Amino acid sequence: MRAHDPQRELLPIASGRDTARLLVRRFRRRPAVAALAITAFLLTGAAGIVAPRALGAIVDRVQAGGDSGDLTVPVLAIVVAAAVGAVAAAAAVAALAQATIPVLADLREDVLDRSLHLDSGQLEKAGTGDVMARVGDDVRTVTDSLDEAVPLLLTSLTAIVFTAGGLFALDWRLGLAGALAVPGYVTALRWYLPRSGPVYRAERVAQGERAEALMSTLEHAPTIRAFAREAPALGEIDRTSVNARELALRTFWVLMRYGARMNRAEAIGVVIVLTAGFVLVREDVVTVGAATAAALYFHRLFNPIGGVLFVFDDVQSAGASLTRLAGVALLPEHDDRAEALGAPARLELRGVGHEWEPGTPVLHGVDLVVEPGERVAVVGASGAGKSTVAAIAAGLASPTSGRTFLSGRAVDELGSATVRRHVAVVSQEVHVFTGSLRENLSLAAPQADDEALLAALEVVGARRWVTSLPEGLDTRVGSFGHALTSAQAQQLALARVVLLDPPYVVLDEATAEAGSSGARDLEVAASQIVRGRTALVVAHRLTQAQSADRVVVMDHGRIVEQGTHDELVATGGRYATLWHAWSGT
Amino acid sequence: MRTSRQILFGPLTRNAGLIACGTPLIVLWQLCEALVPVMIGVTIDVGVETGDLGPFLLSCLAIAVIFTFLSYGYRFGATFMNRAVQLESHRIRLEVAGQAVLPADDPKLAGEWLSLATADADKVSLLVRQFGFTVASVVTVGATAVYLARTDVTLALVILFGVPITVGITQLVSPVVARRTEREQAAIARVAGLGGDLVAGLRPIKGIGAEDAASGRYRASSRAARASSIVTARSWGYMTGLTTVVSGLFLAVVAWLAGSKAMEGDLTLGELVAIVGLTQFLAEPIALLGALTAQFAASTASARRLHTALASPVLILDGPDRLPAGVPRELRLRRATTSSLTEVDLTCGPGQLVAVVCDRPASADSLIGLLDGSVRPDGGAVTIAGVDLRSLAAADRRATLLVVPHEASPPEGTIRTAIDPDGTLDPATLDEVLTASAGHDVVAAHPDGLDHAVRSGGSSLSGGQRQRLTLARSLAVAPPVLVLRDPTTAIDAVTEQQIATGLQSRLGRDTATLVVTTSPTLLAAADHVVWIREGRVVRVAPHHVLQEDPRYREEVLR
Repeated sequence: MRAHDPQRELLPIASGRDTARLLVRRFRRRPAVAALAITAFLLTGAAGIVAPRALGAIVDRVQAGGDSGDLTVPVLAIVVAAAVGAVAAAAAVAALAQATIPVLADLREDVLDRSLHLDSGQLEKAGTGDVMARVGDDVRTVTDSLDEAVPLLLTSLTAIVFTAGGLFALDWRLGLAGALAVPGYVTALRWYLPRSGPVYRAERVAQGERAEALMSTLEHAPTIRAFAREAPALGEIDRTSVNARELALRTFWVLMRYGARMNRAEAIGVVIVLTAGFVLVREDVVTVGAATAAALYFHRLFNPIGGVLFVFDDVQSAGASLTRLAGVALLPEHDDRAEALGAPARLELRGVGHEWEPGTPVLHGVDLVVEPGERVAVVGASGAGKSTVAAIAAGLASPTSGRTFLSGRAVDELGSATVRRHVAVVSQEVHVFTGSLRENLSLAAPQADDEALLAALEVVGARRWVTSLPEGLDTRVGSFGHALTSAQAQQLALARVVLLDPPYVVLDEATAEAGSSGARDLEVAASQIVRGRTALVVAHRLTQAQSADRVVVMDHGRIVEQGTHDELVATGGRYATLWHAWSGT
Repeated sequence: MRTSRQILFGPLTRNAGLIACGTPLIVLWQLCEALVPVMIGVTIDVGVETGDLGPFLLSCLAIAVIFTFLSYGYRFGATFMNRAVQLESHRIRLEVAGQAVLPADDPKLAGEWLSLATADADKVSLLVRQFGFTVASVVTVGATAVYLARTDVTLALVILFGVPITVGITQLVSPVVARRTEREQAAIARVAGLGGDLVAGLRPIKGIGAEDAASGRYRASSRAARASSIVTARSWGYMTGLTTVVSGLFLAVVAWLAGSKAMEGDLTLGELVAIVGLTQFLAEPIALLGALTAQFAASTASARRLHTALASPVLILDGPDRLPAGVPRELRLRRATTSSLTEVDLTCGPGQLVAVVCDRPASADSLIGLLDGSVRPDGGAVTIAGVDLRSLAAADRRATLLVVPHEASPPEGTIRTAIDPDGTLDPATLDEVLTASAGHDVVAAHPDGLDHAVRSGGSSLSGGQRQRLTLARSLAVAPPVLVLRDPTTAIDAVTEQQIATGLQSRLGRDTATLVVTTSPTLLAAADHVVWIREGRVVRVAPHHVLQEDPRYREEVLR
């Protein structure tokens, strides 16, 4: 877990009220289960208070000198309560799950759906850190709490309420005596809460740092070995692990001191209830049985009260995570459908200027037309604005000034689904999705059959290595799976474009990450997929420029030269210099 | 080499002191827990029933004392045990990390090492705590048995056999619940993993408009986990229900038996209360003993995994030979042969920039492997200053030779620490290596310049930026022999030209530089190019000479 930069917070957080409203609305979709859960919890609580009362009755009958026949009723009561309590407890846990788990599942699905549909421009600017935290940590926190903390909290609260009721039902004075234990517990909680938040937070941060240190060493072991940095890397693990250990010990100590305060409250409570019993029995107000039942009631409260007080933190942090999930789930639903762009696929950038950060323009008045079926290569030094042109041409970013047109239609007036259906982008960012090769490909075309997938692999020159894998398309790739080279990963990305079959393609250094031998295969693949499409290719290898229909040279956010490769070489300008240096001619 | 048993019991022997302090305190705590219901019974017996104030106050005092011992016993006992657990898991974690950075014959995935260094390290160290609780539970059950036997032998037998039976009945279903829980947790982990994976691939997804397909995939996985969660919760419900009914029925039996005995005058009221209370209490240590068996099995499994990982063979890259003083640090391959190289001869001396062009990635991999020691030659040798690399002392190898992997990436820190992790470079040298690696552009691209934060693995930088920082770092090390593999694949042609010039300018430093590449720009900057086809050296000549061969042109200029 990385301490994240508040400025990178990109998604909204819902207020407590909005979160509650959202949850209530969703629970209402399953009124029967919710009602069953409530009823079952009430029954569990009621059944739970029978046994101590019955034992009190046994004490009274023993004291009154009855025979064993007198035991029938209280013993039967314990049996019946056990049976009823068992059925109710089973129903309560199951119904609670049935009521809450689908709500959580819907919520996480909505959160991911909204996250995937976030505006690209915003994402480019803000990064994916916050989205990752919501989809990962927040979903996990809430899921874990539904597994343990919430059922425990509800069961314990029910037991507490009913047992308190049972105490009062025995005799109101015994009930009052029990109530006198409350301040002890409140004091313990008030001591604990302000301390627990900071220590748990510090511990989580330290554990995050430790995981980070471990992971960055384990993932980059070859680099660490090459540069002989083993000692500092292990030193960092040692430092973060010691820090996490010391904080864990501190947290544990706080927890122990909290436990001691609860023990104190328990001891005071037991003594007060016994004293009340002693006095009331002496005054002949209650029976010895009632005093016994009261003490037993109180003794039975130890676990539920401990349960409530110990899960308090979990429930609190689950609540915070819920507001962060609700914030995303409450984002407006996107309902845009792809429409067809009839006209020939011409891409136009008109007077496009752009600033990622206000005040630092990276593009100035770029005019660029890519004719239908034309392949245009963009060349220039890093920072020349090539990737920004690619992002704007692909409709992933809205230009600060100027406009973009696809088939004569202004991009800012088309829905994003339409743009995405028509323009495919492959960047140098390689990502292999965890799952099978088939799943990696079918993202682009969920309906495609194996034949179509293999045909797409054939186009990008990947069919041979895929079919030579023992499990073929079923081979697991991504984390923990079969390791792919970056060239292979990028071939998959290009095969997805083949499956999508869009009229426009934007390749932003799509062949950059591979080693040199792999790069050649990728370039062949890339030239296959741009064939017959309107293509803008940000090129880092000049061979890509050489084979393009037209070359555009950029410098400091402007187009400084354009023409065919041969024209530009003949002109003897900037591109010609580059080409000579590169080709050694 | 330690056995898996030594790994398992190591935490106990190493922390004998802490355990010796902690265990008696944990025992004290649990005995006092058992005494609470007994004392409630005694108080009812001697105080509430009789109405005598003196004995009543005395027994209340006893309750207070019991609570004091109980509270401090747990607080300090658990703290001692916890300290031992934490010390151990830290120790094992470092041991695993130390093994993970060694070069292995059969490398594991980072995820596997991570799970060994966290989950398995924790599970093995938890044995310390399990030990304390096992001793405490056994002692408490024994003490309770003695108390009950002294009170009433029949009842004692019923309770001492009955409690384990009731616990046993509920444990009968617990494997089912455990299995379902495991399945559920796996399903939830899959959902979480899938979500993180899709967000990590958000840009590629958006690039092909696959948001809905991705969302649908997540939904399917989430639904499966949801179904699994509900099934698991239902089985938890059954288990709760079963526990409730079995313990309730057993309580009824004990209440009936003890009630009858009390009516016959065999038991006092207080003993009746104490017996009922103990019956309920005993379920705790006995269930704990049951759970401890499962935990012990988990610790054993973890110890076995740790043993396998820690005993896995590593490549030992160390030998007895030192580099002779005064001999030029010349890198040389003599008839070096591997599965993808055949009798390759190659020389790269101080001040030289030699490039290698391989037609097949496997040959390039093999060449790099020979140099970094991960591949052993089947024939021939690799030498530096005449000393075979395999018999060279590790210290000398490290001080002389730097083989930069293609996938090298900067560590977490800043641009400055990515180039100069120890902060030892003077400003002039830093400027020099930045110029040679075209790294000034990377610095200028960020408003905070050299202090710009770099995430682990350089994930916040572009591929080209990463490669330039890696190059700058390699040049800053200034080793006598520098080997680079495809250092500029993500770098544009303009910048590549700067780097080629930069590498040439570093030659005055007597560095022997070997670059495996097919970039014409770098090849043109090299003194000569070793051209390898199908594993054999075809020709050694300057780039411009080799370019006359159309096959060479096709390989590097396609």
